[in-house]
Amino acid sequence: MARPSDSSHLSADAVDLPTAAARPAGNGFIRRYSRHKSAVVGAVVLAVIMIACFGASWLAPYGKNQQNLDLAVHGPSLDHWFGVDELGRDYFSEVLYAGQLSLKIGLAVGILATMVGAAAGVIAGYFGRAVDDVLMRVTDLFLIVPGIAVLAIALRGLGQRDTTIILVLSALAWMRVARVVRTQALSLREKDFVVAARASGASHRRVMARHLLPNMLGAIVVNATLAVAFAVLAEATLSFLGFGVETPRTSWGTLLEKASGTVGTPTVYLLYFPGLMLFLVVLCVNFIGEGLRDAFDPGDGER
Amino acid sequence: MSDGPLLSVRDLRVEFPTSGGLLAAVDGLTFELSAGETLGVVGESGAGKSATASALLGLHPREAKVTGSIQFRGQELIGLGDKELRPFRGDRIAMIFQDATSSLNPVLRIGDQIAEAIRAHYDLSRSELKARVVGLLELVGISSPAERADQYPHEFSGGMRQRAMIAMAIANDPDVLVADEPTTALDVTIQAQVLEVMERIKERTEAAIVMITHDLGVVAGLADRVLVMYAGREVELGGVEDVFYRSRHPYTRGLLASLPRLDRRGAGGRLHRIDGNPPSLLEIPSGCEFHPRCPYALVGLCDVSRPELTVVGDAHWSSCHRWQELEPR
Repeated sequence: MARPSDSSHLSADAVDLPTAAARPAGNGFIRRYSRHKSAVVGAVVLAVIMIACFGASWLAPYGKNQQNLDLAVHGPSLDHWFGVDELGRDYFSEVLYAGQLSLKIGLAVGILATMVGAAAGVIAGYFGRAVDDVLMRVTDLFLIVPGIAVLAIALRGLGQRDTTIILVLSALAWMRVARVVRTQALSLREKDFVVAARASGASHRRVMARHLLPNMLGAIVVNATLAVAFAVLAEATLSFLGFGVETPRTSWGTLLEKASGTVGTPTVYLLYFPGLMLFLVVLCVNFIGEGLRDAFDPGDGER
Repeated sequence: MSDGPLLSVRDLRVEFPTSGGLLAAVDGLTFELSAGETLGVVGESGAGKSATASALLGLHPREAKVTGSIQFRGQELIGLGDKELRPFRGDRIAMIFQDATSSLNPVLRIGDQIAEAIRAHYDLSRSELKARVVGLLELVGISSPAERADQYPHEFSGGMRQRAMIAMAIANDPDVLVADEPTTALDVTIQAQVLEVMERIKERTEAAIVMITHDLGVVAGLADRVLVMYAGREVELGGVEDVFYRSRHPYTRGLLASLPRLDRRGAGGRLHRIDGNPPSLLEIPSGCEFHPRCPYALVGLCDVSRPELTVVGDAHWSSCHRWQELEPR
């Protein structure tokens, strides 16, 4: 039998058809992303924050917890950009070190929740029927529980280690992704290319992995960024309430908690800086999500 | 290869549950396909052509009920589960779809999509895959195939997408190629090019082709045998010469007479037409389903008794009570 592979010698009397658009492929992703100015700025700012936080051991002007009791508490200055706290610590360095934990938890939850949500959503949407019913009722169940209360109870019971915090926060964050992915899978599974993939012998798992999920990468990524933002904020909330990261370790949430009494006092700047970092990270992550959504669409919105 | 037909379809029924009861999209279809042969399946919209195609690969909607027998090299396919059917799909029996634009995944490069079809069945290295994909694209007449393989479907024109679809279907050198209206969505000029590719495939591979179309011209050019369907039923089956020149069924004759011809014009230059519309599948007429539109229908016979498929010639079948009276033209 003539295998197709040995047919290349055949003179394929190629008829040249006009191409739809002679556009260079490959670098299109970056080009499409860069069209979003806010997304570019967001990526740069987030990168700077991450490098500064995770490289704090080398970049922070002062050591972690390094106290200098000779220093009077004072606000931002040239030596101490974010000022000095009541124990004489450089607050800029403290914020950077605290950011390590906030960012770590935020990113880990974003990734884990997205993976769980995407898997549950694509399975529910693709198979439909009973599978869909069961998975969506479970999703509803997770959506109706009062998040903060469950978190607090769970962390009290399970201990406040980082992995526990990540798992519990992920358990509260995957449902939105699951719902979005399910909706997309419901419409994508009816597409001709899914039938075509099945006709070429693709298994259900392959159809989901190679044909459904890549087609909704945009939606998934946007929701992943939202999950990161949620996790960073939820961790801050928990730590602020005393259920999150335990002393002596710090996150932006614990810094906020410690500074919570400073409103109306001259040291209120201790509240501003962790808050500003949270605000910046969440904002940047959202901008990045928007840029990625458009960049992931190779059809350039014209298909 | 074993003796006997490559593909043998017996009394195939495809039924859909609707609010008005079971709807038989395909009703008692029987045909055989030998290696290397091309069978044209012709009929109006709703005649059950596409339902037949999807049933051949077990790709019918879940709610559809498929009964009868489909044997590939003697192995029964009806009743097999998804897992057992998968080795056949795309490897032994492949399909070309009508609308290449929607049948190609917009976010996968053309080369990767073709490679997917191969990887579903064979474990090849990256370079082997690449070489094979490029060879396939070249075979279907795509110029600079290596660069084209790295492009996305939206960078291809309609005709090129259909060629890519064909390349995907023949990727594993299937024994049976089911082409579901492969030229319908294309311009006439592009149609001709795609048909040329189909003809080349026919010569190059030993695949038997089931060519589903409503275009009798396509059948005349490509098919060895023709199966005519009406309202889910098989009305005539025979060699392309027999069906085109010695048809023994009034519906086939009506179809052929409706073709525009330059040499013989009807009264006032109008095209011949078959009066009436194809019946709703929920209200199939009694007796012969074609009798309300048939100029030869006899009251008391055609509206009461349903004609069976009868041998009317050498490898030529027709389901008409009065086939003997339809003299070859």
